[in-house]
Amino acid sequence: MTPAELSIQSNRWERIWLLAKIEFKLRYYENKLGLLWALLKPISEMLIFYVAFEYLLGMKIPNYVCYIYLGIITWNFFVESSTGMIPILNTKKYLYEYSNISKFEIYIAHLLSIGIGFSFNLVIFAVYFILTGNAFSINLLFYPIILVNLFLLGLGIAMILSTVYLIAKDINQIWAIVMAMGFWLSPILFKAEELRAKLPLIDYFNPVSGLIINSRKVLMEGVQPDFTLMLINLLQASILMLVGGLLVRKIGVKASELL
Amino acid sequence: MEATDIALRLQNVSKTFKIYDKNYQTIKDRLFNFYKTNRSREIQAVKNVSFEIRKGECIGLIGRNGSGKSTLTKIMSGSFVPDKNGIVERNGTHMLLNLGVGFSHELTARENIYVNGSTLGLRISQIDEIFDQIIAYAELEDFVDTKIKYFSSGMVQRLSFSIAIYAQADILFLDEIFAVGDEKFRDKATKTLENNWLKGRTVIIVSHSADLIRKYCDKTILMQKGEMIFFGDSEEALELYKQSYS
Repeated sequence: MTPAELSIQSNRWERIWLLAKIEFKLRYYENKLGLLWALLKPISEMLIFYVAFEYLLGMKIPNYVCYIYLGIITWNFFVESSTGMIPILNTKKYLYEYSNISKFEIYIAHLLSIGIGFSFNLVIFAVYFILTGNAFSINLLFYPIILVNLFLLGLGIAMILSTVYLIAKDINQIWAIVMAMGFWLSPILFKAEELRAKLPLIDYFNPVSGLIINSRKVLMEGVQPDFTLMLINLLQASILMLVGGLLVRKIGVKASELL
Repeated sequence: MEATDIALRLQNVSKTFKIYDKNYQTIKDRLFNFYKTNRSREIQAVKNVSFEIRKGECIGLIGRNGSGKSTLTKIMSGSFVPDKNGIVERNGTHMLLNLGVGFSHELTARENIYVNGSTLGLRISQIDEIFDQIIAYAELEDFVDTKIKYFSSGMVQRLSFSIAIYAQADILFLDEIFAVGDEKFRDKATKTLENNWLKGRTVIIVSHSADLIRKYCDKTILMQKGEMIFFGDSEEALELYKQSYS
């Protein structure tokens, strides 16, 4: 290995962080509202759903503001990492086509940039949660596992969809329909029990559902996560990661030719 | 020749593109047309090319338009995957330098320098050290935080070349780097090349300019209709190239 090649490997994480910061800047600072938009979007969604479900439909869920906010930001992270990364091999072609950078670095950097926005939303959640007289329990320590799971799930789906995009450009529209259905098939606005009563196995088929349920358990209810669900979600994310990784190696390697 | 002396090795490299009568790009197209026959034909852009380039050599790559130069360059730089059984071995990092490639037009000159430098293996602290020199060489002091999309082609070329000058890539592919740009910068770039910049670097220069090839390349590859018809002395290659026109 030459010194320059060694250097490419050793500065990998520095480069990923650089790309993530630049991507974050492009996503939010280019917008007139800037970073505020990253916070305003879930807050406005939360307000709309709060008025609709708490006041108009009389949903009786304790701490409903935090309940839907946590559901929405988790769901939005998944949507942004899956939908937002579909054209990544096209938009980031300049990075891999003429130099030595690995495509996996590009995926991770993009996901990290979404993660920066997500972390701002988590801070808002934590502040509001505490200000409204709540407290976190020791089970908060399980949350990093859920976050890693969410990250892996987003990465796996993004790798699959972005390689499918190389041969089917309308995957964007198809995935938008899947996401619209997924929103209502996830316990974002409703209680998980209500969804489960109508669709008994939904928690096991919808990987985001389990992540939202367990996030609420460890952050809001202060109890341990549902370990079965957690294990299933980790397994789902690992399988999707494996499939995604294989697709990137098999089809993604020809991205320059196909785009 | 010892394996460690080799910077680039190509063995039985071919590249075939499959061209379909109808190019279905969507799931909808595929679903609605699955019963229709879609004839295809194969175009072999590069045919069974094998050669070795030693470290520190400066190699020219010439040929008429459509001879397979660009495809071969993209295979060498790893952008294209060769057909089955073709082997490409690169010993070191590489950078393909062409007008504006490797740049995001949505990013500023500053951001592009950091991204490019980092992909070539430089640490942020190392880029900090050479940043001002890159900007000064490219004569872009007033446009450091301007997005590349507002640059003229000459400005983009100056920035590309300047990054290459300070980059530490082991193998450099220079694809028609003097095709654009003003005379003043061309002179400056030529002086840099003459000033031992090429010494010790493995460089592949893709060009139509006989003067450039004659001046800097130890050996030259001549491509014709996808085949490498000559690899050797640059003068001889240029003579054969001239004959191919007559």
